Amino acid sequence: MRPELEEIKLLEAFLGGSLHEEQEQELEIQLLWDQGLQQKVKLQELAYRAVQEAGRKQLRQELQAIHNRLFLRT
Amino acid sequence: MQTLEQPVIATDIREDLVQHREKTLEKLYAKAYPMVLHYVKQQHGSPDDAKDLLQDAIILFYEKVVHQKLTLTAAPTTYLMAVCKNRWRHELEKRNRQQELSPEVGEQLQEESALEAPAFALAAFVDKLGEKCRATLVAFYYLGQQLEQIAQQHQYRNVRSATVQKFKCLERLRKSLQGFSIHHFR
Repeated sequence: MRPELEEIKLLEAFLGGSLHEEQEQELEIQLLWDQGLQQKVKLQELAYRAVQEAGRKQLRQELQAIHNRLFLRT
Repeated sequence: MQTLEQPVIATDIREDLVQHREKTLEKLYAKAYPMVLHYVKQQHGSPDDAKDLLQDAIILFYEKVVHQKLTLTAAPTTYLMAVCKNRWRHELEKRNRQQELSPEVGEQLQEESALEAPAFALAAFVDKLGEKCRATLVAFYYLGQQLEQIAQQHQYRNVRSATVQKFKCLERLRKSLQGFSIHHFR
């Protein structure tokens, strides 16, 4: 994968708490001075929240469809 | 470490939910809705209240089982009923309180909850990525599906290409959210 995608993967592991201790510390130190990276981390967190919302929305639609199929008499 | 007694149920329901979501949810819904409806009707609620209550509870249940690895010590419907009853009691208290308030204050409260409401504002950014990206991200991060399953269902050549696509979609999402965060977080 290209470097930008590798970075996204790295931040995903960081946010999920699955980095090795050394890597995690390295990243935390970089975050102290690297505002660009801070911004990326924030946006990535926001992206996961967006996906969670999209997931809830999809599940809600599926449940609504089930409801209509089973309990809505036309 | 898993013990051999109850957690087995939880593991199975997790498998069922992730692998056969539609079928599992339908079975659950068919069983639970009449129970919730019966209860809510007795407690001064409408069929719509029962429907909203149950759907919220199932969404919560899905997230708990799939992401937090909830260990069920009771049947799923028992769990859902408990959540619904609990929430309905809170809802009734809230409605009672709002009735006691003066009309202006009640209106103000409603406006405030409307402000909290852009619950799906972020989801729109995911929708804009196109159906394949949306479905892939939701399947992996929310529905908890394995990349093998996702690759098959969404016509990726293989797991590797599904993985790369997933990160590309995430990259696009992150970029598109830049505008949103400027408006809402500064």
